Amino acid sequence: MPEERGGSPRTLAEALRARDDEELAALLRARPDLLSPVPNDVTQLATRAGTRASVVRALERLDRFTLQTAEALAVAPDPAPYGTLLALMGGDDGDADVEAALPGALGVLRGQALVWGDDDKLRLVRTARELLAPSPTRPSPTGLGPTVTEATAGMSPGRLQEIVASAGLPTTHDPVSAVASLTALFTDRTRMATLLDTAPSDALAVLDRLVWGPPYGEVTADPTPPVRWLRDRGLLLPASPRTVVLPREVALHLRAGRAHRVPEPVPPAVTPAAEYGPQAVDNAAAGQAYTALTTVEDLLKDWHEGGPAVLRAGGLAVRDLKRTAAALDTSEQLAAFWIELAYAAGLLASDGEAEERYAPTPAYDEWLELPTAERWGELAVAWLTATRTPGLVGSQDAKGRTLSVLGPDLDRSAAVEVRRRVLELAAELLHGTAPAPESLLSRLRWERPLRGEAAGSTKDLRARVAAWTLSEAELLGVTGRGALSTHGRALLGGEGPGGGGTLADRRARAVKSLTPLLPEPLDHVLLQADLTAVAPGPLDRPLAETLAVLAEIESKGGATVYRFTPGSVRRALDAGMAASDVHTFLATHSRTPVPQPLSYLVDDVARRHGHLRIGAASAYVRCDDDAVLGEILADKRSQGLGLRRLAPTVLAAQSDPRTLLEGLRAMGYAPAAESTEGDVVITRAHARRTPPRTPPAPVPEGPPVPDSTLLGAAVKAIRAGDMAASVVRKPAAEEGRPPAGELPRTSSAETLATVQAAALTGSAVWIGYVNAEGAASQRVIAPVRVEGGFVTAFDHTADEVRTYPLHRITGVAELADDAL
Amino acid sequence: MNGPLIVQSDKTLLLEVDHEQADACRRAIAPFAELERAPEHIHTYRVTPLGLWNARAAGHDAEQVVDALVEFSRYPVPHALLVDVAETMARYGRLTLSKHPTHGLVLTSTDRPVLEEILRSKKVQPLVGARIDPDTVAVHPSERGQIKQTLLKLGWPAEDLAGYVDGEAHAIELDETGWALRPYQKQAVEGFWHGGSGVVVLPCGAGKTLVGAGAMAQAKATTLILVTNTVSARQWKHELVKRTSLTEDEIGEYSGTRKEIRPVTIATYQVLTTKRKGIYPHLELFDSRDWGLILYDEVHLLPAPVFKFTADLQARRRLGLTATLVREDGRESDVFSLIGPKRFDAPWKEIEAQGYIAPADCVEVRVNLTDSERLAYATAEQEEKYRFCATTATKRRVTEQLVRKHAGQQTLVIGQYIDQLDELGEHLDAPVIKGETPNTQREKLFDAFRNGEISVLVVSKVANFSIDLPEATIAIQVSGTFGSRQEEAQRLGRVLRPKADGHKAHFYSVVARDTIDQDFAAHRQRFLAEQGYAYRIMDADDLLTGEDPVR
Repeated sequence: MPEERGGSPRTLAEALRARDDEELAALLRARPDLLSPVPNDVTQLATRAGTRASVVRALERLDRFTLQTAEALAVAPDPAPYGTLLALMGGDDGDADVEAALPGALGVLRGQALVWGDDDKLRLVRTARELLAPSPTRPSPTGLGPTVTEATAGMSPGRLQEIVASAGLPTTHDPVSAVASLTALFTDRTRMATLLDTAPSDALAVLDRLVWGPPYGEVTADPTPPVRWLRDRGLLLPASPRTVVLPREVALHLRAGRAHRVPEPVPPAVTPAAEYGPQAVDNAAAGQAYTALTTVEDLLKDWHEGGPAVLRAGGLAVRDLKRTAAALDTSEQLAAFWIELAYAAGLLASDGEAEERYAPTPAYDEWLELPTAERWGELAVAWLTATRTPGLVGSQDAKGRTLSVLGPDLDRSAAVEVRRRVLELAAELLHGTAPAPESLLSRLRWERPLRGEAAGSTKDLRARVAAWTLSEAELLGVTGRGALSTHGRALLGGEGPGGGGTLADRRARAVKSLTPLLPEPLDHVLLQADLTAVAPGPLDRPLAETLAVLAEIESKGGATVYRFTPGSVRRALDAGMAASDVHTFLATHSRTPVPQPLSYLVDDVARRHGHLRIGAASAYVRCDDDAVLGEILADKRSQGLGLRRLAPTVLAAQSDPRTLLEGLRAMGYAPAAESTEGDVVITRAHARRTPPRTPPAPVPEGPPVPDSTLLGAAVKAIRAGDMAASVVRKPAAEEGRPPAGELPRTSSAETLATVQAAALTGSAVWIGYVNAEGAASQRVIAPVRVEGGFVTAFDHTADEVRTYPLHRITGVAELADDAL
Repeated sequence: MNGPLIVQSDKTLLLEVDHEQADACRRAIAPFAELERAPEHIHTYRVTPLGLWNARAAGHDAEQVVDALVEFSRYPVPHALLVDVAETMARYGRLTLSKHPTHGLVLTSTDRPVLEEILRSKKVQPLVGARIDPDTVAVHPSERGQIKQTLLKLGWPAEDLAGYVDGEAHAIELDETGWALRPYQKQAVEGFWHGGSGVVVLPCGAGKTLVGAGAMAQAKATTLILVTNTVSARQWKHELVKRTSLTEDEIGEYSGTRKEIRPVTIATYQVLTTKRKGIYPHLELFDSRDWGLILYDEVHLLPAPVFKFTADLQARRRLGLTATLVREDGRESDVFSLIGPKRFDAPWKEIEAQGYIAPADCVEVRVNLTDSERLAYATAEQEEKYRFCATTATKRRVTEQLVRKHAGQQTLVIGQYIDQLDELGEHLDAPVIKGETPNTQREKLFDAFRNGEISVLVVSKVANFSIDLPEATIAIQVSGTFGSRQEEAQRLGRVLRPKADGHKAHFYSVVARDTIDQDFAAHRQRFLAEQGYAYRIMDADDLLTGEDPVR
């Protein structure tokens, strides 16, 4: 096509070149993949922008309406004027919303270099067109089929003329003009209407089925009358012997010109589900934020002394997850979330030892020291920016492996963006209003239709991440009762006073607005006569820690209920508190008088605590004369024995009885050893014996010596055999060659010499040979080479060159000169 | 943000009693939350599905429950809990039991999948008849109780709109000359009557019999009263004759000795559950008249067979009375589903504050075993251990000392083991009432005790319940049925009738230190401790040496 005006670009490169720097920068921002590596010039940039991978990536990031616009362009003539595009998008009757939104969508497509050219010559980048245009294998999202021109390609001119005639058009002289006149008919609304008015109603029903796609229909070899009617007039064109297709022009006529059944120029609004008011939302969120902190703390306290082991493939075993969930009194799915949250915040990690286990990190100790709201800030920021998606835990990856908590393959890069977008959408509503989750999801789907739908409905990762985001935000207290809280909004930044700024700024603002909402830690509890203590709010950390030792926690939540039991009081005493410490502690921290049963309980347990003492000793010294024991203790030489007086007449020692005995003997005493029954052990020189044993049986060399009967019989047999052999051999040896039918027998040295000689002279020899299966044969061979225990020879018997191991040759004989 | 209520994540509610809004809050949460513990500062309520469904049955909706929680809560209420409340309450009423003009009793659903779900249950299948239409299925009238119980267990409680039969009318009026129903008794009667059927929980000595009489006066119909034993049956009869328009002739006793069936019949659990040749011969009693009201006294003792009979009586009004709805067998929920939900519950301390029951001083006396006893205890067989430590000789001396200390006051010594009681009776020179004591002898002794002719009475567990001894002031418990919480409460109840001069009652529990007895005592005391009774602990040595820390 000739270019009339100098300003109109002819290629994408030209169009790009004409853009100013800012527009190019915007393009590169929208499609950062074009930048790596930095293109040398605009031509290269244009080439790269047209590569399939890059175009797919760009298309996937389009919102639904922009994508619909691109799809419409793909089924429009190339290039298409703006008016055609508008008609495709808005239909014959026009659509005000479409009209308003279309320039914007086109602007996006242009900005992303997916569309170029002036308004009267809009061109979709070729790769995009290929991706979006319909083909028999991949129907277009528009549901439109090929054009008449495409569908009639390869059709016989005669058939084409028949169609033209049936459609009521004058016949033409060539196929091209026939197609053109048919197209003209199909695109003319009035004439088409007239034509369709004559159609039988069954035929219209067939068209109805195909109009919104897929445009292909199967037909039998003998199609029904309505199909035949349509086919005769070209309203259905054959796509293959058994399928027909509805040409694009016909479909567009039936659709009143619209490329899409439902153009969606306006993003679906996020609708409010319920309104609670900012105050209620903030309170609920703050409460949940506090719960989140205690839960994470509980989790790490649970793993305080070393958490569960790391699986070989990485991650946490299901059993450990179950146990942790039980400890946190929550479901496994939630436990997975808390664990991953703590992990993302750097509060727990694998210890990297040989036997790898999870444990809190040093950062956890620092985190604990932070003010409450700051601690929340750490978690919230970690959550907001994490690519880990605990929601996937328990599902299976492509290879059928179950994904485990803390394990590999939980990172989803889309998570950050989706999470942020969900919160941003929630933030668009009035403060204190909870969004309806379905409306949020449909909005998300509108914004990224390809990415969402490409993955299929059940595996739609974005939708799932969005759902997780809503529930996780609630768990973390970013939202309260489903609505974004003030601190959640602050964290997100956004518009309004003080909005924007770096993540650290936003975090600081969120923390600031959360701080007054969190309950102040208390320094007292209420003690009750039923041996419970109620902390009507969060407690100071030291107080809470001591109480947790002194009493069992019975119920958690806004308040904590503790129960004192003999066991718990004993635990406190074991931990080094004295009864008086406990009394003072209770009196100091109780707002009410300490109930009598409680102080009685403490005293009662203390009375018995330590009544029995247990220690380890390796040996003891017993003596009726306590003066002697005093003497031993006073002696400097006894220091190494680790002696301690348990009672006037008993010493306990850390050294073993033997050392003790020797030590005391060295000091000049005459101690005697005592058995467990208390008897004196008589010591003599040790004569160590085994249990009863039988002496070893001699191992004879070879078989047992035969007795004389056997020997006699054997000798007799040998003799008989010998006799027989010598009778046969003599004549054989004299003859120099064995009789016919018998193998030649020579010694191996003789064999070797004969064969070697034969090899030198090139003469043939006669051999006896036993093959690997033990079958004997006689062969005539002409040795060529003798080496390594093998003879390579031409075998006259087999008529080919073969190799024989020398040890299998039983004997060899020279042939008579006339033999060959 | 400064309410009296703290909502815990385990669905308990902590109510700070001293808070100015505490009363308003208590009223707001009472319809759906069960009072679990009522010690001095913080009361614990629990939100259970059953409680929420009862609230729905009483006409409250989820919105009210959520509002009450949110309004009074000091801290934000976890959203998940609110959602859970709403979801739980929404399960009620999807199924309704009602009378169909042609098909009789039918189960109807507003939510077809629910009906499909429950019909698939093996437990429901035998209870229902033909499917009438997609949303309705016939129910065998005799299985009304059974199906309600089953559906409750499946988590889809049915709303019972089938109503009650009026029963055979019989004029009963309260005769309020010289006395009047107390306000809480009136509330209890109204609560019951409004709800149709249910359980009224009142402390021992708070006049449950009168609540029963009030309910009968409302029903004005023939009444079957089920009680624990014959003595109790006589007491009921006596009280009814005194407090209502009923005459002796209108009230029948149906017990081991007498088999009278009159417009008002009082039967014992024992006679009903007597089994001969594999059948219960006295069951006909339930069908012998067209009863308009069935009263269950001490419903916490309801024996298992009676549960089964009761399931068949769903068309009749049922009233359960108890002081302590704790069952060590955990069948509280069966009581609720078969007799009816709790219609009225008053904390003991509240009634005490109103002056209707006497304040009590509970003391646990810890007895040190002697060295030889300790050795013997250590070597005793496991099953003999409790008996051994509960009946040590040291306990006897402590008991004697306690009786001496309160000489002149009406004292009950209560124990589990007959030989121990006999021995105590001998040493204290007091008569002993035990299982083998004939009823006439029992009544004679109780009368003598009421009149003050005897001041010390040694009783076995036959006197645990329903024995009205208004003048008893001191109770000394020397041994019990292991860790039974309700027994402890009932025994305390023996001394809780308000005294003429308003003096305190004393309850002593003598416990052997460092033995299993002490563990059981701790468990037994739990119910009372949760009702706000604070046990003081005292060393027996202090008592024996005459040094008296008891004020």
